[in-house]
Amino acid sequence: MSALTTKAAPAALSVGERLRLRLAITAGNAAALASRLAGKGSGASVRGQILTRLVPDAFDLLLQGRRVLSVSGTNGKTTTTHLLAAAVRAGLGSDAARLVTNADGANLHYGIASALSQARRADIAVIETDERVVSDMIAVARPEILVLLNFSRDQLDRHHEIKALGRAWRVALEKAGSAGPTIVANACDPLVVWSAGTAARVIWVETDTVWHADGALCPACGELLVRVPADGRDTWDCPGCELTQPASDYRVEGTKIVLPDGKRVSPDLQVPGSFNISNAACALAAAIEFGVGIDAALAGMHTVTSPAGRFATARFGSTDARLLLAKNPAGWAEALPLAQSDPVVLAIDSVAADGKDVSWLWDVEYEQLAGRQVICTGPRAQDLAVRLSYAGVEHTITRDLEDAIATSGAAAVDVIATYTPFQALLKMAGLR
Amino acid sequence: MKPVEIVLVYQSLLGIYGDRGNAMVLRKRLEWRGIDATLTIVEPGDVVPSTGAVYLLGGGEDAAQISAVKGLKSDGHIFGAVERGAVLFAVCAGLQIVGNTFTVGEHDEVIEGLGLLDVDTRRGDVRAVGEILTHWTKPDGTESLITGFENHGGFTTLGPKAQPLARVEIGIGNANDGVDGAVQGTVIGTYPHGPALARNPELADHLLELALGRQLDPLPNPELDELRRQRIAHVRKHGRG
Ligand SMILES: [Zn+2]
Repeated sequence: MSALTTKAAPAALSVGERLRLRLAITAGNAAALASRLAGKGSGASVRGQILTRLVPDAFDLLLQGRRVLSVSGTNGKTTTTHLLAAAVRAGLGSDAARLVTNADGANLHYGIASALSQARRADIAVIETDERVVSDMIAVARPEILVLLNFSRDQLDRHHEIKALGRAWRVALEKAGSAGPTIVANACDPLVVWSAGTAARVIWVETDTVWHADGALCPACGELLVRVPADGRDTWDCPGCELTQPASDYRVEGTKIVLPDGKRVSPDLQVPGSFNISNAACALAAAIEFGVGIDAALAGMHTVTSPAGRFATARFGSTDARLLLAKNPAGWAEALPLAQSDPVVLAIDSVAADGKDVSWLWDVEYEQLAGRQVICTGPRAQDLAVRLSYAGVEHTITRDLEDAIATSGAAAVDVIATYTPFQALLKMAGLR
Repeated sequence: MKPVEIVLVYQSLLGIYGDRGNAMVLRKRLEWRGIDATLTIVEPGDVVPSTGAVYLLGGGEDAAQISAVKGLKSDGHIFGAVERGAVLFAVCAGLQIVGNTFTVGEHDEVIEGLGLLDVDTRRGDVRAVGEILTHWTKPDGTESLITGFENHGGFTTLGPKAQPLARVEIGIGNANDGVDGAVQGTVIGTYPHGPALARNPELADHLLELALGRQLDPLPNPELDELRRQRIAHVRKHGRG
C-alpha cells in the first residue's frame, strides 16, 4: 500500500531538456491564449500540439517525476478520472495542488502533455488515457495504478478489431513485469480480464455492466463463453480454457459499493446513472489503493457534478437542456434510460470523432422511447428518423442543433448526443 | 395464414455492425402491409428452425466467424432450409462464411465455409472501409441503387455457380473488381453491412417476394426516400468518406 504523503522521485531531466520544455510550454501557452481570445475554446489542444511539435518527447518528459494514476476503457473514462481526481484531492486536503489531471478529457499524447505542462510542480497525476495510449503510458510513465473500465465496440471504421487493443495492453503489461502498475479492473468484462491477464497485480471490481454484446466469445481461445449463476448473480466462464470471471475485491450492489472487508458504502454521487456507481467503485478502489481514506474518497467523489460537461444543464432559448454524451451502443444503452424528458432530443453526427458509420443506430434499443416524442437533430438526423420509424417511435427532424432544443416547446429536455454535437452544444452554452 | 418467419442467426456472434437491423426491417415491412410476421433470434447452442422464410447472417470478427460456421454445421438445419427454397441473406462476414472458404488471422489460415454460395474469400491488399454505392439490376430488369457502408479486410471472388449481385459505382465491394455481392438461387450475399436493408427497401422487398413467391404492394415512405437521396448525394460528392 502506498502512502499519499510519499513524494515522487524528482524528474531526472538534463538542463537542456528543462530549457527546451520551458520554451515550448511558453510558446504553447501563447498559442492557447491566442486561441482563447479568438473564441476558439480553451486552447488546450493547440497548446499540446505546439508543445509536442517543439519537443517531440514532451509526453515522456512531462510524466517524469510524478506518481501517475491512469484511467482507460471505452466508456466512462472522463467521469471516472474526475471521480478519482476528486477522491485523491480530498485525501490530500490542503496539499491538493500536488495533483494535476486532464480534466478536459483530452486523452491523447498531446492532450495529456498539455495538461501536465500547466502544473510542473504537481507530483501526482490522474490521467484519463485513450485506449490507444495505454501501452505508451505503461512503458513511459510507470503508473502506480491503471484503471481499466470496459471494452466495447466503438468507431469500428477506425478500430477494426476490438481485441487488438487488449492484445497491446497484454504485451505492455508483460514487459513492465513486476514494476508494472497495479490494475483496477472490471471483472465482468471478459475482454478487460483477458487484457489485464499479464499484470503483476490486479484489484477486481464486480460492476453493474449492462452491455454484454461484445463478450460472447472467449478472447483467449475463441470458445463461446457461458453465463453461470453464482450467489444470485451472473458470472461468466470459458468452457474451453482457464479464463473465468475472477472473484471480486470490490463489488457494486444496487446503489452501494461493497468493500473488500464486506462493509457497504453509499457513494452518494451527484452524477446520475447506475453505470456511474460502477465508475465510482473503480475510482474508490484506485483511491484506497493509493492511500486515500474511505471517507475522504467518498466526500471527494460527491463533489463531482458535470465532468467535462457531461450531465451539465444549459439554456437554449427558453429551454433547459441536460446534456448527455453517448459515443457507442454501450454508451447509448446507459444514457437512454436516463433521458426521461418528453420530448427528448437525440443528436447524431458521423465525422471522424463520432465514427463515420452509423450502422450502430440499429444496435441501440430506441424502442424503449415508444410513447414519447423524439426530436432528431444533427447531420445524420435522417438516419435516426428512419431507425425510429422502424422502432415505432414518433419523431420530428430539426437539423440545426440549437433550434432543435430551442424550438422544442418544452421547459426542460434531455439531450443525448454523439461526440461532435455534444462538444458543439457545450461550446454554444459557453461550457468549454 | 401462418406468420412469415424471419430468422436472425447468431446475433451475438454476427451482429457487430447493427446487423440485426435487417431483421427489424423485414419484419416491419411485412407488418406495415398487414402480413403477419415473427422474428426468431437464434443464438449459438439454440436449434436453428427449419421453418424460416428468410435467414439473416451479419458481420463479425475472425473468431466469431469460425464459431458461427462450427455452430451452423453441427446444427445442420440451415442447409435443409436453403434446399427447400428459403432465402438466406448474408452481409459482410456473413457473405464470407456462406462461401466455400475464407481466411482468418495474421497467417491467413484457410477455413471451410458453409458452401452455400460459390465464392472464396482471401485477405485483400487494402481494407475496404467507407460508404459504398452499387447498381443492382432487379428481376424485372430495372435498376436500383444500393447505398451502404462496407468494412472488411477480405476480398471475395466468385465461382461459376454464383452471379454478382451488383455493379460498384463507388467503393470496393467484393475485391475492388467492379462488382459486389453474389447470388446463387435464393442465397444472396453483399458487403454493405449492418442494416443494409434499412437504406435499401427495394432489396428488402425483393428478399420478401423471393421468400413468399409473390409480388408485394409498394410501400411509399418519403422519409426513407429522403435518407436515400442524402446518402447517394453524399457519397457521389465526397466519395467513400
Ligand atoms: Zn477460453
